[in-house]
Amino acid sequence: MATKVNKTFQPCRTNIMDPLFLALSNFRRRNFEKCVEICTELLNKNPLDQAVWSLKTRALTEQVWVDECDGEEEGLADVLMDDNTIASVARPGTSLRSAPPSSAGGPSQTFRPSTQSGRPLSGVVRPGSQGGRPGTMDQALRTPRTSQTARPVSATSGRHVRLGTASMLSTGDGSFINLARLNVAKYANQQNIAKALFEYIYFHENDVRHALDLAAQATQALNFKDWWWKVQLGRCYYRLGLFRDAEKQFKSALKQQDNINTFLLLGRVYIRLDQPMASLDVYKDGLDKFPGEVTLLTAISRIYEGLNDLPKAVKFYKDVLQCDATHVEAIACIGTNHFYSDQPEVALRFYRRLLQMGIYNCEIFNNLGLCCFYAQQYDMTLTCFERALSLATDQGIADVWYNLGHIALGIGDINLAYQCFRLALVSDNDHGESYNNLGVLEYRRGNLETARAFFMTSASLSPHMYQPHYNHAKLAHKVGDLQTSFIIVQKALNLFPAHVDSQELLKTLETHFQTL
Amino acid sequence: MGEKSNSSERWLTAHHDPLASLYTFGSCMALADLHGDGDSKLIIADLGTGAYNMKLKVYKGTNLMSENTLIDLPTGVITFHMDTTEPRVPAVAVASGSYIYIYKNLRPYFKFTLPTLEVNPTEFDAWNQARDELLDVSMLYEILDSLRQEVGECGLTTRSQRFLMCHDHASQLTFLEQHKGFLLKRQTVVTCFSTLKKSHAEDDAISCLVLGTESANIFILDPEAFTILNSMSLPSVPVFLCVNGLYDVEYRIIVACRNGQIYTLKRGVKLGRPTAELTSQPVGLIRRDKSIIVATMDQYLYSFNNKGKRLWSLKLPAPVLCMESLEIRTLGLTLTALGLADRRVLVYRDKHLVDTIHTQDNVTAIKFGRFGREDNTLVMIMKGGSLLVKILKRTARFEVEESQGPSQAVAVKLSIPKKTKLFVDQTMRERENCVLMHRVFQHDLYRLRLSTARAYVSALDTSSNPVSLSQSEPLKLSAQVLGLGPTFKLRVELQNTSSVTPSLELAVVFHCDDRIYTVNQSFIQIPMLVPGIVHVAETLVTCISELGISDTVRVFVIKGKANRPLLTAVINMPVAEVFMAT
Repeated sequence: MATKVNKTFQPCRTNIMDPLFLALSNFRRRNFEKCVEICTELLNKNPLDQAVWSLKTRALTEQVWVDECDGEEEGLADVLMDDNTIASVARPGTSLRSAPPSSAGGPSQTFRPSTQSGRPLSGVVRPGSQGGRPGTMDQALRTPRTSQTARPVSATSGRHVRLGTASMLSTGDGSFINLARLNVAKYANQQNIAKALFEYIYFHENDVRHALDLAAQATQALNFKDWWWKVQLGRCYYRLGLFRDAEKQFKSALKQQDNINTFLLLGRVYIRLDQPMASLDVYKDGLDKFPGEVTLLTAISRIYEGLNDLPKAVKFYKDVLQCDATHVEAIACIGTNHFYSDQPEVALRFYRRLLQMGIYNCEIFNNLGLCCFYAQQYDMTLTCFERALSLATDQGIADVWYNLGHIALGIGDINLAYQCFRLALVSDNDHGESYNNLGVLEYRRGNLETARAFFMTSASLSPHMYQPHYNHAKLAHKVGDLQTSFIIVQKALNLFPAHVDSQELLKTLETHFQTL
Repeated sequence: MGEKSNSSERWLTAHHDPLASLYTFGSCMALADLHGDGDSKLIIADLGTGAYNMKLKVYKGTNLMSENTLIDLPTGVITFHMDTTEPRVPAVAVASGSYIYIYKNLRPYFKFTLPTLEVNPTEFDAWNQARDELLDVSMLYEILDSLRQEVGECGLTTRSQRFLMCHDHASQLTFLEQHKGFLLKRQTVVTCFSTLKKSHAEDDAISCLVLGTESANIFILDPEAFTILNSMSLPSVPVFLCVNGLYDVEYRIIVACRNGQIYTLKRGVKLGRPTAELTSQPVGLIRRDKSIIVATMDQYLYSFNNKGKRLWSLKLPAPVLCMESLEIRTLGLTLTALGLADRRVLVYRDKHLVDTIHTQDNVTAIKFGRFGREDNTLVMIMKGGSLLVKILKRTARFEVEESQGPSQAVAVKLSIPKKTKLFVDQTMRERENCVLMHRVFQHDLYRLRLSTARAYVSALDTSSNPVSLSQSEPLKLSAQVLGLGPTFKLRVELQNTSSVTPSLELAVVFHCDDRIYTVNQSFIQIPMLVPGIVHVAETLVTCISELGISDTVRVFVIKGKANRPLLTAVINMPVAEVFMAT
């Protein structure tokens, strides 16, 4: 009998795991597509299974989830069509828009090149670190868009929609949840799935209006006791451009629960309101609660960098490195600062560290090459540049050629320098710096007409540079066109008021005009 | 403003007379107890209008006590003890022209005349012959004029100098008639003078007079007999004197001369020893303890030690008008006061600025000392003639503020970044492996030149350059994208960069992936390009891709029927925005 029992071995109903468990496991292993597939199957069998439904929303959300605190780019429309009236003449040092070009002891504009917005070049390329705030609509539409860094028109429509469509392409057959038919009030009361649903609507569907609706009703259902919903409400307001409402929600959330993310979001609100000092206060409050938090420290140093207070920015980047010795942004920024403060040998150390950490691209070799050259380690210089050239994409190669041009100028090989600058122009037609340097070389050769054309092109391509204006003014002064020289040297001084050579040229011209 | 409040804390204004109408310099002022009653008087040799009305004025307190008329412009006033009679009252010596007038009890007492100089024999003969009417006036004028070319203005007697200033014949004749009967003498004038204690160092001991003259001599006079005890010579005319020591024991005279040199004279030498060379003419000289402080015309204040080694120098904010040393015995301090041309008086302790006094006018003369019954009194004469007397408060201190730094006037040092230890280490490496490093660098450089040249040639071959510098068609192309999409405007700017030759038969061609973009006008004919003028060609480009991607658009500039483009520009198109929202 016993053997019979053994023979009627109960057949295993399924020789696989419980599909929900499998889906969960896949979710944890970040195999989101697999997870979504299993969930879809299960939902086809039982459309009302909330656990599966919730898992699927989360899997779909995770696929497109972006950390909003980092790397947010302000769109053209956000910058220019901002209807929040902000004092246009802010007190110095209290506004990111009117930060003076060189202040507080950092290296001057002569040594440290500036970005299009007139800020000193940062060590890393972040969204917004290259473009900055344009002055006029015309400038906004023209300058960044000709170069490779095309700025989206608006943060809400541009990037987020692009991400949304990307996710749609991947799922293929229509959307998972029909938002228009969603009974928001019902789900708002079901806390177990409301949060997952919110994130799905917010990140995956990018429908801020519905997300806001859900968040508002959910927080109401919980009698305004849950800080998480307040943060989400704040996010929605922030995305909609209602910064003061967002500020209120974030502050209220912080009263209930200290959270790094909330501090970061509140700080961003103040940055968008152009109140860097207020956001510094927020970040410092956050640091009191979470000492040594790297994201907060980084945010502080970014603000100081925006305010052109480079020594302070570097101080905070150093604090970052104390807490996280492998922080790429901090290492790169400190390295850049050392390089432009005439300490290339120290910068070399920082960039070498980046290389050891496994960053292996054109930019790093380019920087290493420059550091080697200026720190007089000549044997390494050209090897680094060679490698940079071999690794370079179309975008970066122009800068490598441009820097090689500088090396060639440094060793006095004018011909090589000339070829390098021309090659920089081949890969990037809008390389204003190369045009300017070519102009100087042509000027030395005596081709004044060509030099003048180059200076003019350079000035129109990079309106943030004072060098082409000064060079053009000097050229005009040399050929005796004093009136032109006078007008153009004033442009140079507008961009860099402390430029001594321009001031002297202006003084000479004024005496010319005043002499009877 | 902080300085202002400081100075009002330290100084009390004792007397201010804006209508004193004094015209004098620091060397023509003295403070002395002239009557032995313990009440110091202020003695001022007033230059009057500069031509007449010269007076020796004595102030007792705020009142003008006495006035003596002077015959010539005064160059210095000094008080000194010339005998041992009781009560000990000093005599006043006024240097004026080539005389020294000695006043005792404010009454003329003695006149000392400087020894005459040798008259040039040619000049002497000329005047003698003119007197005997062997020469007429114009002949005399010519002889003297040529002599002036030869020996210079200073080599002539004052009579000849004055005669040469008469330009018309009549005045020359009257001058000759007036003066020809007198003996021709060549005199020199006193430029500066000072006192030197004879054998005792007490305050009221007998002093000798030390004179500097226009003939570049230094004379030391005996105070009783008024004979020249010692005569020394200098290479240039002395303008400032500083004397210390005792005549009978050892003394040292420091002289600043008109040639910008400082000389030192000691007992027993006949010729001044060059001590220091200045960058400009001196405007004031002070000696204190072991150092010499000189202000110069180029707005510098220098300090030298006795050997002539420069201790420090300061760039002053304005030209110096006068200089005075403030010896405050109660504090054991010797300060330097400088009257500047920006209506300030700066007080320095060594090279540290310790006080600033703001005045209503430029101060031309400063004297510090005992005035009335007050020990530390600062007497200042303004350019407009007013007299200002300030008393130093007993509580005043002149501490050097460390936070203030060495003074604002110190030249700012260049902030040269310090070289790191790392740099030094790397330099060591460079020094040890220099040959190897050089070889590697040169080797890499050759390779770089080669690869650059290759890349350059290939760029030229494909004409993928926005600038053409060929002799035939020097052109420059720049392109811009305008608009937000899906329809963009491409703007191509063409410029002929040659100086004279125009470019003909040019055309612009746009090339792109036709699945992504459509170009409205892909071929644009360019009219004749005049040198220097920018020609703009525009077209519309529409993005037709549904994928929302961006691509590049190439712009070629071609000439005639040539099969190769002259120039190429690659435009990276931005992502079309509005298209996505639909």
